[in-house]
Amino acid sequence: MSEIGTKRRILICCGTGCLANNSYEVYERLRNGLKGRDDISVQPEIKATGCNGLCEKGPVVKIYPDGISYFKVAPKDVDEIIEKTILRNEVINRLLYFDTNQKKKITNHIDASFYKHQHKIALRNIGEVDPLETDDYIKRDGFKALHKVLLEMTPEEVIDEVEKSGLRGRGGAGFPTGTKWKSCYKFDNFPKYVVCNGDEGDPGAFMDRSIMEGDPNTIIEGMIICGYAISSHKGFLYIRDEYELARKNMQLAIDKARSLGYLGKDILGSGFEFDLEIVRGGGAFVCGESSALMASIEGNVGEPRAKYIRSVEKGLWDQPTVLNNVETWANIPPIILNGANWFKEIGSEKNSGTKVFSLVGKVKNTGLVEIPMGTKLSELVFDIGGGIIKDRPFKAVQTGGPSGGCIPKKHMDIPLDFDSLSNIGSMMGSGGVIVMDDTTCMVEIARYYMEFLSEESCGKCTTCREGINTMLKILTNITLGKGQLEDIDLLEQLGETIKIASLCALGKTAPNPVMTTLRFFRDEYIEHIVNKRCPAGVCKNLTTYYIDKDVCIGCGICAKKCPVNAITGNNKEPHVIDVGKCTVCGNCFAICPKMAVKVGGASAYAY
Amino acid sequence: MLIKIDGCFYEGNSGETLMELAKRNNIDIPHLCYKDGFEGLGRCRLCLVEVIEGKRKKIVSSCVYPIQEGIEVNTTSEKINKMRKDIILLLLFRTPENEYIKNLALEYGVSKIDRYSNKEEENCILCGLCVKACEKLGTHAISLVNRGTTKKVSTPFDDTSKDCIGCGACVEVCPTNAIKLSDENGKRTIWNRTFDLVKCSICGKYYTTEESLKYTLDMLGTDDEEHICEYCKKKSMSSKFKESFKNIY
Repeated sequence: MSEIGTKRRILICCGTGCLANNSYEVYERLRNGLKGRDDISVQPEIKATGCNGLCEKGPVVKIYPDGISYFKVAPKDVDEIIEKTILRNEVINRLLYFDTNQKKKITNHIDASFYKHQHKIALRNIGEVDPLETDDYIKRDGFKALHKVLLEMTPEEVIDEVEKSGLRGRGGAGFPTGTKWKSCYKFDNFPKYVVCNGDEGDPGAFMDRSIMEGDPNTIIEGMIICGYAISSHKGFLYIRDEYELARKNMQLAIDKARSLGYLGKDILGSGFEFDLEIVRGGGAFVCGESSALMASIEGNVGEPRAKYIRSVEKGLWDQPTVLNNVETWANIPPIILNGANWFKEIGSEKNSGTKVFSLVGKVKNTGLVEIPMGTKLSELVFDIGGGIIKDRPFKAVQTGGPSGGCIPKKHMDIPLDFDSLSNIGSMMGSGGVIVMDDTTCMVEIARYYMEFLSEESCGKCTTCREGINTMLKILTNITLGKGQLEDIDLLEQLGETIKIASLCALGKTAPNPVMTTLRFFRDEYIEHIVNKRCPAGVCKNLTTYYIDKDVCIGCGICAKKCPVNAITGNNKEPHVIDVGKCTVCGNCFAICPKMAVKVGGASAYAY
Repeated sequence: MLIKIDGCFYEGNSGETLMELAKRNNIDIPHLCYKDGFEGLGRCRLCLVEVIEGKRKKIVSSCVYPIQEGIEVNTTSEKINKMRKDIILLLLFRTPENEYIKNLALEYGVSKIDRYSNKEEENCILCGLCVKACEKLGTHAISLVNRGTTKKVSTPFDDTSKDCIGCGACVEVCPTNAIKLSDENGKRTIWNRTFDLVKCSICGKYYTTEESLKYTLDMLGTDDEEHICEYCKKKSMSSKFKESFKNIY
């Protein structure tokens, strides 16, 4: 291939996931390896970018315009990449991504099942730009929307455009963004504030972190646009302190934007003034709740307040405030630039646009996925996610973080949008999707979330604090084999009250994991309580393993993996587990190639 | 504005909460974390009532709900009663031996479930009134610390507080008698700190701490106030009244 006129660009993913796997060393080695090489006619441009989404297969190296994507690149692979791909235009087969759906190696990542169903709006720049180079952002239409807003549009027109687009808040509740802006616009009480909620805390969710790390400028642009629309001159970004890289990149981007005249006085000569400040969050999950977040910015204890008066009227320091989530802000510039109608075309009715999901759990491809709203859950798990690891039986999907619910197999075709998910007792939340197979115990899952919430509830109101704590005690009892059938009634009784009587959304949604598992997996609860058996083999007190002698081929792998030598048997003859010695670690169950290891109950000493 | 509560109309003022309106009109809404003179805290959740706004029905906590033109309120219903019972049950799990909560449970017909009752001694229901009282007084010696199930009322880092004046306002407002205060041999112990008590210059009984007295005098901007206890102050006031009104009747 001729290199004249088409300068090579090499993009190395330096998101948190890839960095943890030495991607920065890959970047440095590539830089140093190519420096001063006279056998390369045109020096390639090398960039450290934000997250590409498929973190599990990182570090990711993409080479343009060749369209070659390498996965799991180690620093030792760099020399080979330079020698073969850069110098001789050869593709290194070993580093290509293997698509389990198509059952072949993929040269360009965009052809992979994981990527080809995606539609990137909020993540449009991530992985394609160096987050610290504002110029990269500008080259990809960055700040064009801001130009348009400040120089051609009135605040009313901006709000109208956002309202018409049908954009709903991506933080979880799905409140229409345009309506929020409009209500805040109507209050003649100044100063007003714009706030970005970057306190992402759901276990398994990391889309906001990726946007802040990989494309901070889009958030800045979105917030300035809102400031102009509601006549606010000051914005705050509340970023949890654990997100060190996100905070650093945001700060550098803000400083650069200020020096380039996108922030500060008289932005782009329009006379409009706006500036941003970062506030570090202390790591309380509840501070992702808007009123607790604002209390925290003010320097008070992060406790929510009753929101009978909305924060668009009395928010930060009791002044009118618009608070949106990171992903929501990232959608604003494209909406302004391409128009409300363009956005409305994407997604489904009343749920326009796309949503970023973080697909994790027992699924082959894990990572960040941006798809149009209304895409079927099964498409996300099987077409994009590649199905369940080891092709085990699929059991359920947990969406919406700790406040969400578990969706069973029979609802796999549910469209992923705000309304459909809340109709079956789950929620969109921030977009966490945790896939579970038959080795996941639903009672234990409910217990896990209650434990998380019992620590993360602010503890202000009785129903949330004591209610979650009691539910946790009940669930712990069930997983230990001390459950009684009345416990199920008590769980449901308390769940109903907590849902209605709690002060904030954390409390109101906290019973969801318990209520949905009770609704869809009640059998499993009863199995734990009555038969003292955990069907998934997770609750140790309620599990014994035995080998089905009709299935066992006597390969002996389980005996080798057993840490306490509890498995015996002759070669090519069925093996036996000594229940007395067995510590229920589950190694044999996981490793058996024939699935001959079965789960028995606490007292079912079956041989 | 006129507000309909349980079928009767009451005149409400703009900016008033439902609880304030109800209190003014002697309508009983059960509550634990509300106190006259303090703003509503919305913590205990017992004051939940049903508000009907047009066609919409919602459950709100009356101590923080600002009244609005045209609303109709039901202070009790089957649903609300069920929730209040559950809230009392939850408090009973937390403080199974507390007299006040036990009586409340008795009143509402809530019975204890031993399996889930707290085995350790606990009397605090975390209503936050003590913290509010301390804050109102301007001392800010105690606060709600930690979060989730470990939340508690304490002084900073559980240390002896420099700011506490031993006035006992926290004890005064506590509905469940959870704060330990002991007055013995001229000394008061509260929040891990011991204070010297001051005697009343009239009856000679110990009545407050030196720090509390000094704080009050500083607030009043005077130092020649007599050291008189609450009881003697009332007594002397009533005799003054008697004197001044002597010739009127």
